[in-house]
Amino acid sequence: MQLRLENFTKKFDNLTVIDQLNLTVESGEMMALLGPSGCGKSTTLFTICGIHRMNGGTLHFGDRDVSNLPSQQRNVGVVFQNYALYPHMNIRDNIAFPLRVQKLDNATIAKKVAEIAELVHIPELLDRKPAQLSGGQQQRVALARALVRKPDVLLLDEPLANLDAKLRLEMRSEIRRIQLETGITAILVTHDQVEAMSMCDRIALMKGGKIVQLSEPDQMYNDPVDTFVAGFLGNPPISFLDAQVNADVFQVGPSQITIADSLRAKVNGAVKLGIRPEYFGPQFGTGITGKISFVETQGREDLYNVTLPDGSVLRSIQAAGPRLKLGDSVNWGISHDHALAFTPDGARI
Amino acid sequence: MPRFNALGFGFLAPALIVVALFFLAPVILTVFFAFTNMSTSTGITGGDYLLSQSDLRGVKASGVSDETYDALENAGYLVDDAGLARLAEARDQATADELAALHSGAKFDARRDMERALKDLRDNRIRSTRDRKALAELFKTSVMDERFGSEAAFRTALDGVGIPQADQDILVKEAYTGWVWTTENMKLLFSLDSSYRYAMNTVIYVTLTLGFNVGFGLFLAISTFYLSPGMAATFRTIWFLPRILPPVLYVLMWKWFTWDTGFLATITGYLGIAPRNWMLDTATNAWVVVILINGFVGASLGMILFSSAIKAIPSSMLYASEVDGANRWQQVRYIILPQLRWPILFTTSYQTLSLLTSFEYILLSTDGGPGRATEVWALAAYHTALNNYGGNLQYGFGAAYALILVIIGIAASLLYLRFFNFKELVTKPRIEG
Repeated sequence: MQLRLENFTKKFDNLTVIDQLNLTVESGEMMALLGPSGCGKSTTLFTICGIHRMNGGTLHFGDRDVSNLPSQQRNVGVVFQNYALYPHMNIRDNIAFPLRVQKLDNATIAKKVAEIAELVHIPELLDRKPAQLSGGQQQRVALARALVRKPDVLLLDEPLANLDAKLRLEMRSEIRRIQLETGITAILVTHDQVEAMSMCDRIALMKGGKIVQLSEPDQMYNDPVDTFVAGFLGNPPISFLDAQVNADVFQVGPSQITIADSLRAKVNGAVKLGIRPEYFGPQFGTGITGKISFVETQGREDLYNVTLPDGSVLRSIQAAGPRLKLGDSVNWGISHDHALAFTPDGARI
Repeated sequence: MPRFNALGFGFLAPALIVVALFFLAPVILTVFFAFTNMSTSTGITGGDYLLSQSDLRGVKASGVSDETYDALENAGYLVDDAGLARLAEARDQATADELAALHSGAKFDARRDMERALKDLRDNRIRSTRDRKALAELFKTSVMDERFGSEAAFRTALDGVGIPQADQDILVKEAYTGWVWTTENMKLLFSLDSSYRYAMNTVIYVTLTLGFNVGFGLFLAISTFYLSPGMAATFRTIWFLPRILPPVLYVLMWKWFTWDTGFLATITGYLGIAPRNWMLDTATNAWVVVILINGFVGASLGMILFSSAIKAIPSSMLYASEVDGANRWQQVRYIILPQLRWPILFTTSYQTLSLLTSFEYILLSTDGGPGRATEVWALAAYHTALNNYGGNLQYGFGAAYALILVIIGIAASLLYLRFFNFKELVTKPRIEG
């Protein structure tokens, strides 16, 4: 079911947290609300499920206007960061709770609980108490409880934040699998760009209560609208260099970087260059000289920081090779087609 | 390391002293008192030896010989050397000599006859009737109505009137006015109908007050939970007032509220209902008032405990229940109440004990009335031992009442300790992925 948020405004007392936000999530789509702490992503999620009231704007699930409905009547499923399982009920009762409060008969409840337990792979845990489950298992129970009454929208609030790294990887694909199998419209709130990129169809990147960019993950990565988006996505992060347009080249200190054909007509004067670590290294020839100021080996890959003569830093990630040491001088090249250009105040050129 | 042990003991000492002074000592004293017949008339120290007319009935029943009983009951007046010596000392030798000449060795059954004998004196006339009465007493041979400071003095006196040794032991026991060890208190306690009525009253009082406490406390906690913080704080403060008011003032306000010229009577007066004392009018009224007075005090404690327990429920859990479709009532019924199970059990058991032993609000309001309708066990103990209408404070019997409470209290405490198995209460958090 399509979810449509129009001109949504949210105030806490006199502080406007979100001003005139528009967001449409298509039916069956999984949308990520990504952003740093305090960007308004959780506020948006809690407003969609009805825990927070809107101060302005409308919210539609399909054709149904739910702007003024209490959360009980919105038919949304929510997975909370701490799962919010009811500690005094066993797993079966936890999952059955949304059906129980609708006063469905026991046979129907039992059938639906069994189905959903099958879907999230926990049929053997139904008689345990939440305290007897591991984090990943609790996560599955929370998903089952959110999905059991076939909600119009599934909302996930930082669902992986409380898991260790290995389980996080596993649950990432599990949540996506369950979302695809049920075909439910879903919104994932996260501050982790890897989660957003790996799990979702589209990402809405938020900052200061506004959506800065809304696009598919690879497009957002390769074609960011400004330095904030470019800097938020990618790990290790993008490096920025101050450059001057000098005929056909960007002049960075003594070094020169060729301007890609697509950019040549648009740039002049001072620009900010964004170089992702995978586009800087010896495989791209030479031209940029500097000293290694940081080395980190990640097994399959090595990560280097190179400090240029003017003090700016470029990052490089390369397949593990001959280990360079701190202080070694290098002369590496840049894949100039992939250099992103921004105006000095951050907008993409 | 004995030095550290001593240090630990030192730190514990204040607590140990307090436990000994305010818990052990009262318990031990209660047990001790409960098996004595201490009362106002016996005192709590030793006593004198005194045979009174009323004691005589007991003496007869305890099987002394008839001669002894006769000697005691019909003790007369004998003009003997000892009596004459006393007379000589009280008046003068001449008087004594004259009486000896007239009546030496004479025996009179009644004082009147002795007085007449004194009237016979011519040379040393005793003119005042009052004096004659007093002097007649000097020749009394009875040990009745005379106070002896020690057993030895009493026995000497008994010897003096010729009571055989065998009967003396019985008389010594009967005449002793101090306290003695006895199990009579317990027997009496279980034989009195009033004991069972007080026990029943206590059951009614504890059950109803507890129900009101917990129920109203829960209601306040849950209803204030759904109010805005400022309003909730205001309401909680208002409902906390009964607890922080001095009990005397608090109960005085209730009395004013229910007096026959008080608030309630005035209001109902407008409705044409004759003014009455709404507190003491009927037993039912008295019970309602007693339970409300105690209930509002107790409810405030429950309110605070339950409020903080509700606040401890993670807000996301309440949000979750809302988006799961639960309305307010279902949220309270299925999410909040089940998680208040332990606070409710704790409050219930804690207040059961304190209600069993507390009586101050009843004492101040109805004082057990009307009649003995609201007399609970603890109040009965107080009335018997410390505030008896008859004036004879029966410390021993009162302590016997209290001892029953001590036994119930200790048994209940042990039961609760087992029941509130704290190891089970605190489940270990599972920290894993």
